[in-house]
Amino acid sequence: MTGQKPFGLTRRHALAGLAATSALAAVPFRAAAQTVTLRWWSPQAAPAQLEAYLAQIAAFEALHPGVKVTFEKTSDEGYAPQLAAAFASGDVPDVVTHLPSFAVQTYYANGLIEPFDEVIEAIGVDNYYPGANEVFRTPDGRHCATGIGNSAANMLWVRRDLMRDAGIDKIPETWDELRSACRKMQKGGIFGAPLPYGRNGMTSLIFIGVIHQAGGQVFTPDLEIALDSDATRNALEFYKSMRELCPPGATNYSWGESLTAFVSGATATGIYTGRVLINVATQNPALADEITCATYPRLSTDVAPWTFNDFASVFIPAQSRNKDWAKRFAAFIFDAPGYIRQLHAAPGHVLPVLRTIGENPAYLDNPIIQKYKPEVELMSASAAGGFNLGYESAAHRSNAKAGEIIAAHAIADMVQRVVLNNESADAAIAEAVRAIDAIMKA
Amino acid sequence: MPAPRPTALERQYARLGVLLIAPTVLVFCAVIVYPLVSAIYLSLFQIFTPTLQGSWVGLDNYRALLARGEFWTSLQNNLIWTVGTLTLQILFGVAMALVLHQNLWFRSLARSLILFPYFVSTVVAVLVWKWVFNDLYGILNHFMLTLGIIDWPIDYLGTMPNAMISIILVGAWKYFPFVVIAVLARLQTIPEALYEAARIDGAGPVARFFDITLPQLREVLVVIILLRAIWDFKEFDLIYLMTGGGPVIATQTLPLLVYKEAFAVNQMGMASAYAVVMMAIMLAFMIVYIRRTRERG
Repeated sequence: MTGQKPFGLTRRHALAGLAATSALAAVPFRAAAQTVTLRWWSPQAAPAQLEAYLAQIAAFEALHPGVKVTFEKTSDEGYAPQLAAAFASGDVPDVVTHLPSFAVQTYYANGLIEPFDEVIEAIGVDNYYPGANEVFRTPDGRHCATGIGNSAANMLWVRRDLMRDAGIDKIPETWDELRSACRKMQKGGIFGAPLPYGRNGMTSLIFIGVIHQAGGQVFTPDLEIALDSDATRNALEFYKSMRELCPPGATNYSWGESLTAFVSGATATGIYTGRVLINVATQNPALADEITCATYPRLSTDVAPWTFNDFASVFIPAQSRNKDWAKRFAAFIFDAPGYIRQLHAAPGHVLPVLRTIGENPAYLDNPIIQKYKPEVELMSASAAGGFNLGYESAAHRSNAKAGEIIAAHAIADMVQRVVLNNESADAAIAEAVRAIDAIMKA
Repeated sequence: MPAPRPTALERQYARLGVLLIAPTVLVFCAVIVYPLVSAIYLSLFQIFTPTLQGSWVGLDNYRALLARGEFWTSLQNNLIWTVGTLTLQILFGVAMALVLHQNLWFRSLARSLILFPYFVSTVVAVLVWKWVFNDLYGILNHFMLTLGIIDWPIDYLGTMPNAMISIILVGAWKYFPFVVIAVLARLQTIPEALYEAARIDGAGPVARFFDITLPQLREVLVVIILLRAIWDFKEFDLIYLMTGGGPVIATQTLPLLVYKEAFAVNQMGMASAYAVVMMAIMLAFMIVYIRRTRERG
């Protein structure tokens, strides 16, 4: 061994070369970082919606060369962990859309959200329907977000053909009527209803509606837990009684399965937003002339209907590195042509929050909206008067823990204990109260 | 006698040795030591996940988790899942390896195809299985209804014990090819002379399996069981996607509980405490297992 270096290269030279190469490699990255890239997250990304978003992105990029917007899909069940990880790591999206209002309030309460008033001003306060932004008002008098669309998530969908065949002459308004109608229509491989019994967000959100439809509430207006009530017991009893009228797999149903069950014709009734309309039109047009909707039945007609509206939002994380551009883009989303195209991607599903859009002939000029005008109007009215766990009634304080209560499945677990495990309502309610109390105090 | 002083060249090589091993040590510290110490440190705080802000609580998280029924139920589920799916993986894996060790005309093709479940993404596998299990459109219920075996669709994933049985079966299907590969490789190295001698002594196929094959496979099976037990114990994606831990928490294992605490309830400190306890349990099992195998050896 002579100790001769191949090609005369010493270790020192090799290390110096490696260092120089590394430094050189960093240069293009720094140069590239000077162009602005906005990241847009949304759980609403059906193919037609995604197409509409990409058109809006292209229009914005054409107006602002040097700004690039990338769309990233999240999901209704997955956004909470994804955002928690994003906030914790500081690697956040710049604009987030279609998350429920209660989730946004949680983030704002922890200083994770940029105040949104500037953007609302830019969109035009007078362009909104009256009170459209109340749900986003924060304790410090600002707004943490704005609505991108309303939705009536727990509408009762029915098929007139099956009702006719079963001799049912009116859409059920009460639980007794609904049970009776479902029993009559459940035959020939068709089930009565696709109520969700899974351990997921849909079960929690729908069941919160059922509690209200029994005249109850989860929290008092001062956010004391009010779950231990006769209304909750009645709601659990009703929900359990409906189990035999739902498909066996409803024990694992979430939004997608419940929607598909009705649209495919496997169930006689459905519980969903207006997305039913476009899905029936494209996936099962044979039902298109037979479907209609109503507010979901309640314990008795003495109890007012209660519509679940998640108040789909737009907000900007406080850690965004491009807040100014993010605000411009957030306001641009509401520009008439792009916003209308976005709404038309799922007509009746996401309903406009801007009065100027709701009255815009271009918005109304849509075959689905025209064909189902009474249904769309009913959903619009119901959603406008709708609530959710973060905003249970106009008298309720905003509940910043609502998102965690839903994500922890405290309500869904209560339903499963009673319906699937045959536990007593009292025991299940007590366990749910304990879980919610722990979250409220954490 | 004092040790001779190292020469300049030896010192230079020693420094070079340290320099060369440093990247490995740094990477090891970054990906193993730091997360481990970090998890233990975080478990002593109450921390809100999105902001990572919190306060010192000492061992309170550990006291709280040991007092919670949900922890013990999840641990029990974890053990049922691990033992159930691992047993089936070993049985299917060894049986399939024995079949593929025979002189079959389609052996090469079968050996390739058998790896398919192991290589397919868990998300894809779960989607396919959920479709198979679907109550309204699933092929399983369809065939059973058509054949008259059942008169009502079976709810495979939403009720107990169906949900646990289903995830155990899917887990076994997904991971048994690992056992096949390892066992098959070992089978090919067992000397044929052992079998010939056994045949001369009048041993039948069953005797040959228990007296020759199984003892020869013992070492590789120990390694397989050890590795797969660790991997199955911390399995997350398959169970989360199949049942989400439901009904209620009947299929919720410890990794799902860690995830729920960290990202649903946003309690990173408590989640870290669960993770540390989980690690301690796995460590205890490993130590016991390694000692027993050493004693037997």
